[in-house]
Amino acid sequence: MATTTLNPAAPAYRSTLYEWLTTTDHKKIGIMYLINSMIFFVAGGALALVVRIQLVTPKNADVVGGLVTPDFYNQAFTMHASFMLFLFVIPILAGFGNYAVPLQIGAPDMAFPRINALSFWLLPLGGLLMASGFFVSGGSAAAGWTEYPPLSSQLGTGTDLWIMGLTLIGTSSILGAINFLVTIFKMRAPGLTLFRMPILTWTVLVTSVLVLMATPVLTSALIMLFIDRNYGGHFFDPNNGGNAVLYQNVFWFYSHPAVYIMVLPAMGIISEVLPVFSRKPLFGYKAFVFATVGIGALGFSVWAHHMFTTGAVFLPFFSLMTFLIAVPTGVKMFNWIATMWRGQLSVSTPLLFAVGFLSMFLIGGLNGAFAAAVPVDFALHDTYWVVAHIHYVLFGGSVFAVFAGIYYWFPKMTGRMLGEGLGKLQFILMFIGFNLTFFPMHQLGLAGMPRRIADYASTAGWTELNVLATIGGFVIALSTLPFFWNVLVSLRNGRIAGDDPWEANTLEWATSSPPPPYNFDHLPEIRSERPVFDARHGRTAAH
Amino acid sequence: MSMPPRSRTGSGPLLAGLIIAAVVLVGIVALAAAGATPASVWNSFFPMHGTGGVTDRSTSVQNLYDIVFYIAVVIFLLVEGLIVWSVFRYRRKPTDTDLPPQTHGNNLIEVIWTIVPTAIVIFLFVASWQTLNTVDAAAPAQVNVRAVAAQFQWSFDYLDEQGGTVFTQQLPSGEAGGLVLPVGEPVHIELRSADVIHAFYVPKFLFKRDVVPGKDNTFDFTVEEPGTYGGQCAELCGSGHAAMVFDVHAVSRAEYDTWLTDQVAQANATPAPAPSGEAAGPTIELEALNVAFNTGTLEAPKDAPFTIHFKNDDNGVPHNVEIKDGGGAEAFKGDIVTGVTETSYAVPPLPAGSYTFLCTVHPNMTGTLTVQ
Amino acid sequence: MAVDTAALTAAEPHGQAEAHGSGGIGNPVLGMLLFITSEVMFFAGLFAAYFSIRANFVNPATGAHEWPPQEFEHLLNPFTLFTESGALNLIVPATIILVISSFTCQFAVNGIKHDNRTTFIRNMSVTIILGITFLVLQLYDYSVLFGEGLSMSSTTFGTTYFTLTGFHFAHVFGGVLMLGVVLYRGMAGQFSGRHHDMVEASSLYWHFVDVVWILLFSILYLL
Repeated sequence: MATTTLNPAAPAYRSTLYEWLTTTDHKKIGIMYLINSMIFFVAGGALALVVRIQLVTPKNADVVGGLVTPDFYNQAFTMHASFMLFLFVIPILAGFGNYAVPLQIGAPDMAFPRINALSFWLLPLGGLLMASGFFVSGGSAAAGWTEYPPLSSQLGTGTDLWIMGLTLIGTSSILGAINFLVTIFKMRAPGLTLFRMPILTWTVLVTSVLVLMATPVLTSALIMLFIDRNYGGHFFDPNNGGNAVLYQNVFWFYSHPAVYIMVLPAMGIISEVLPVFSRKPLFGYKAFVFATVGIGALGFSVWAHHMFTTGAVFLPFFSLMTFLIAVPTGVKMFNWIATMWRGQLSVSTPLLFAVGFLSMFLIGGLNGAFAAAVPVDFALHDTYWVVAHIHYVLFGGSVFAVFAGIYYWFPKMTGRMLGEGLGKLQFILMFIGFNLTFFPMHQLGLAGMPRRIADYASTAGWTELNVLATIGGFVIALSTLPFFWNVLVSLRNGRIAGDDPWEANTLEWATSSPPPPYNFDHLPEIRSERPVFDARHGRTAAH
Repeated sequence: MSMPPRSRTGSGPLLAGLIIAAVVLVGIVALAAAGATPASVWNSFFPMHGTGGVTDRSTSVQNLYDIVFYIAVVIFLLVEGLIVWSVFRYRRKPTDTDLPPQTHGNNLIEVIWTIVPTAIVIFLFVASWQTLNTVDAAAPAQVNVRAVAAQFQWSFDYLDEQGGTVFTQQLPSGEAGGLVLPVGEPVHIELRSADVIHAFYVPKFLFKRDVVPGKDNTFDFTVEEPGTYGGQCAELCGSGHAAMVFDVHAVSRAEYDTWLTDQVAQANATPAPAPSGEAAGPTIELEALNVAFNTGTLEAPKDAPFTIHFKNDDNGVPHNVEIKDGGGAEAFKGDIVTGVTETSYAVPPLPAGSYTFLCTVHPNMTGTLTVQ
Repeated sequence: MAVDTAALTAAEPHGQAEAHGSGGIGNPVLGMLLFITSEVMFFAGLFAAYFSIRANFVNPATGAHEWPPQEFEHLLNPFTLFTESGALNLIVPATIILVISSFTCQFAVNGIKHDNRTTFIRNMSVTIILGITFLVLQLYDYSVLFGEGLSMSSTTFGTTYFTLTGFHFAHVFGGVLMLGVVLYRGMAGQFSGRHHDMVEASSLYWHFVDVVWILLFSILYLL
């Protein structure tokens, strides 16, 4: 093997900014996904604070009262959810996929690097379009992130901007999915069979299938809504042959698989972190694969559980399928615990967030089971119980996994470690703030508080719990400060990471931190799902 | 570079334990300060603070909730316990230089923890299906009401056997308004939307159903306990969504009959002549827009008649102005007018004091009227 | 900075457009198949809406369960040469033209597979011309329908018709553009018997567009 020393390293002939703006390198694109997503996380979080401040106490004594008008309140929670779901959770997981998957399969880049860049740039564009609704007359979209007609047909231009922005974001997702699938199927390094792929890569694969099959259906719903709003269409107009519930069926046919799009790669991240920090392999690798595929498939059969109260749904089927989807999810939970069992855990920040994920996602899964029981759902649908559920699975679940992933892969991306002290501080504050905000919402839903109301009666008995939730919201906001500080400080002064600071298992740790543009100088022999572990322990026989 | 083995007896578990203890302590103190007792905390985990529902079907919903709840609690304690135990018990010790046993899996246990949860969820599904049959069962009802949901108020059409409207209740809530129903016998509700999707939700019924334009959902139930139960729209319907409240008054059959007869008679009677003469006294301005008054404070002179010039700027939405004294008694109630329109209310002389003004249709629209 | 020159020079000399990865179909072809899958799902959403609307349709004008609604009954009969108001009904010729274009497209692909650039260029040009002809005929058909009073707001009958055919039109238009780029690249000599992934990929897309039309035609006009 001949080596040449280039001394000094060739200087860049383009400015750094130009480099980043025009890059097709999956690593840089992945990092840009992360940055863009965090920007929308902050924006979505700010809108959440608006919601929490509005609801901290009832204001009927003060008729003009409240922080914002009911109109703006509707815009606030609509755009909070839209930013968080479409511009934060889904893209940041795609970003981790973008960064890690080619590395984990030993490929030099994604299959279509220029389309990869396009996928990224559609995101800030789509996000800006959506957000621009705030600046038009009538404000932004305001019928909830679900935008049910006929209400969404009534509202102003902001809704059209939302539709257009979301169509661009959906296109970004679909192109990304195509890229991931071709990359994973066609560009794996020799020896990396499908059943030796890291679980993160598996979850990205299944998620990409979901994105490919479900997102276009959302596009069709958005287009039908756009046509109803702007071209005299009647898809959802019952007075002219249309059907308001039709929108809900088409919308949820996407949006239910979408929640698995939002959680499967997060589960993939947990499946990377737990084995490394337990010094044991993932327990039940094949079970994880089958469970992931099972969740993906079953996920297409449950959409109408969001519509139990419409009176237009074949209830027993959707209730059964919804209950069943708990089974593969439970299998994963038990396998994760078994991974930690009799291991040697290093209680660092990635592990803390991973364990936080397990605990919180457990609660989110359990409170979802209540909603699967249709008559209970009749009582709890569209109340704060549902708000509790979605935040336990999405925040306690996906967001915690995202932070686990950030602390885990930051060293690989930047060559420096994030500070452990600040990381633990963030975890503690975020864990406390999160539970303080969202646990009382179970009680609020049980006590009859509906969702999406800008105000409530002082006699309802909901005030104290709302005060708790608002305090919690501010604690969450506070908890992001050590995180951002940690990132800024560590970029400059973080401990140098080296190739493999965690003694990890998968191929991204077989190259430098950060990796060279072409990813690998040489690959270790691949004989299992833990090639780096095997190389470190001198194991080259297949097991 | 590798991770140094962490000390198992180091400050980690102590610190974690201290933080957890501190949080729990602060939590208990805060709850106690807010007046929570162990009983009230326990009850908060059950529908309507443990008081449950008031219809013939809500009991089965409560029972189903309880089944799911207790199973969920057991699963939570078991699984969370395993998680917490693992994190504390299996922390890496300084003496842990060799790898732990590299267990890859165990097929038998995979089968077990697939089959057992499947059995549990199938059981829950069957329980839930049976309850659903109870909740959705039709019942032969003599009382037939159409609940009409519009942006942003409810009205109720009491129907006869042919489906014609005997009386329309325009006031969705309050003592003089609300959905009045007889206790102890089946009631049939039809839902109709005048515009967008709404939802009929009465928390004490442990029930809701969407009101979908173009599709008249129906359901039956019997209220078993007399009382007044608050209801509210539970599907986002626009800027006035929070204002769409209503009351259900469940009364004896005799009271119901009397009430309905009275309402029909009042509706058929010739309306009292409008108060004649020009508007007297000073005029105060009040507007309603987006289901809210434009001000929360009004002032009027004591012991003298005055006029409220009221502009209803909400297109298609009925509003009025009602005045209640400090004790909650009605001092004045103006006619309901549907926007966009203006009207003048001639208010009789009021003694000095602090009054509440509100919209009878949307009682969240309130403010303070100071008379001095 | 030490660089493994052997690894660098051993790297695949051609760009990813020619990557055949672990063997089998090329990356662009696989990518196109996946893209087509996503487009199938898009049309599936629209078709689902169509069938749901059609199954439950009540004509607001007459109150009857009829599809098509009475006032538009003969508009979508493909087998009359002239409509009631005397305009030419060219939807069947348009369909035949689109089907033929799929054949010429495949001849073009087969041509370039055998390194026969002349066959490829001729057949691809014919395909594009036929595609454009279809678009023109579709526009003509629209003008006839507008003249007969059918529009996007003519109950959901009109909404579904124009939405479904309109998006198909957009896909044909995109396909013509794509084929145009392929033809241009072919004429510039960028394809050969060994390197023609984009030709194959574009032809797959064109066949997809054709199949969607056959489905649309059958469902909207015949069923």
